[in-house]
Amino acid sequence: MTISIKTAIAAAVAAMISTGAMADALQDIKDAGKIVVGVKQDYKPWGYLSSDGELQGLEIDLAKDVATRLGVEVELVPVVASNRMEFLQQGRIDLIIATMGDNPKRRQVIGMIEPNYYAGGTNVIAPKAAELSEWESLRGKDVCALQGSYYNRRVTELYGPNLVAFAGIPEATAALKNGSCIAFLYDNTWIESQLASDEQWADFEMPFATEDPQAWSIAVPLEELDQAYGQKMSEIVTDWHKSGFLIERNEANGIAPSPFLQEQHDMLK
Amino acid sequence: MRSNTPVRGHMAVLHPMRIRADALPLADRMFNIWTFSALMLAFAAALIAPAFAQEAAPAERSTIEILLEWTPTLAKGFGFNVLISILSMIIGTVLGVILGVLQVSQVRIIRQAAWLVTQFFRNSPWLVLLFYCILLIPFQLDIFGTTIPFPGWIKAIIGLSLPVMAYMSEYMRGAILSIPTGQWESAESLGFSRRQTLTDIILPQTVKRVLPSWMNLYAVLTMATPLVSIIGVSDVMSLTRAALSAEGQADLLIPMYLYILSWFFIYCYPISAATRFFERKYSVKT
Repeated sequence: MTISIKTAIAAAVAAMISTGAMADALQDIKDAGKIVVGVKQDYKPWGYLSSDGELQGLEIDLAKDVATRLGVEVELVPVVASNRMEFLQQGRIDLIIATMGDNPKRRQVIGMIEPNYYAGGTNVIAPKAAELSEWESLRGKDVCALQGSYYNRRVTELYGPNLVAFAGIPEATAALKNGSCIAFLYDNTWIESQLASDEQWADFEMPFATEDPQAWSIAVPLEELDQAYGQKMSEIVTDWHKSGFLIERNEANGIAPSPFLQEQHDMLK
Repeated sequence: MRSNTPVRGHMAVLHPMRIRADALPLADRMFNIWTFSALMLAFAAALIAPAFAQEAAPAERSTIEILLEWTPTLAKGFGFNVLISILSMIIGTVLGVILGVLQVSQVRIIRQAAWLVTQFFRNSPWLVLLFYCILLIPFQLDIFGTTIPFPGWIKAIIGLSLPVMAYMSEYMRGAILSIPTGQWESAESLGFSRRQTLTDIILPQTVKRVLPSWMNLYAVLTMATPLVSIIGVSDVMSLTRAALSAEGQADLLIPMYLYILSWFFIYCYPISAATRFFERKYSVKT
């Protein structure tokens, strides 16, 4: 008796609590007057915090441009690699623009917008004194890395370094500088722009050929990918490439020129 | 006249007890205003030392300038930590008192259920509880057409209040059981119901017994709030990390984290000092 009542109550509560099926996400965003975008706040110069607490960077420029094109306000939510896909699925954010690599596994969970808006590869930054010449020379050495990076596993399997994973870039670079590890395994785009722009890296180099090119994608919820919302985003990204907006913002944010952006621009022009 | 060696015929127990002036606990002798000042001096030195080292390159901003520049942003994050700690403490305390009273219930099944809940949350890692709250509580609830949003920081408050509840429950149980059973019997003989005995006689007496542990728990909770940065709440810790990555200077890491540490220290030190004061005040003289 009591069990059946409990079951009935549970069923009634479950029926009342629904996370709200979205009929037309694009219309919902326009009705709400704002789009909530998940961005990085610790990935200079793609997404970072200025000292007055404002988010800045290439991806923030992109997020603002999306909002302008939709005629709505933009709300930026800082995300990290471990929570961005959950936020999107839960509806906390409408869009991910957070240095997210496009791969088949993630495509099963969230809607990756094509074309890709950016691309990076895997490389290391190491002191020139270490005289590294090829990936194989990492075997058995301590190499700093970031927790949750997709390339950690691949590099470990192929070249067998002893990965020391840190939570953030500052911690990892500090460890690299005080000699706790021989190299820092990271994105070649970040390494190139650091080497080009920052004095503190004068004695460092990017010794290897960049491997495992990985395209970055902005993402919408999986069920929106083929709907009006996903198509609109795809249109916007295409236009970013076509109009040269991405190349221009890339340069304005002080990032080394990206061959991928040039290639896409030439292809779509 | 008093001798320390036992002498036949002299009974040491009959000497009147003298309270020695230096009866301070070790913790008080170790951590006082002087060690505090020393720590702050060391902190200042750690800040200034790199500044001297950088004098060669005057165009660079000194570490202190960078820290000051980021202070307003970081302070907002710290305020968030304080807010989360206060709200978790309030929720956890209220639930914990109820749960603690249930732990001494006369109904066996209630007592056991309360015990189980207490033990479960008391012995689970805080971070695991936080993760569960983040993942299991939906982003928003639609109940009767009203949308109740659950942003990350509210989930964090719920997640942190669970262990606080469990600890508080144990403190309450201990405090209630520490009150002599004779009081229950006297109250009963005076015609108090069990409920009246509890609310009018027993619970008021538990306040001073629980207070020091409760304040200690608050200090521990405040120290634990940086955990919420891992689940994506913009607290002082994630802002510090963002600041470090924006500045991109590896040698800023130690001063910046030390700076944040000193904020927590300055906030929590008075609490632990007050806790020791209350502990001494309410300690049973033997």
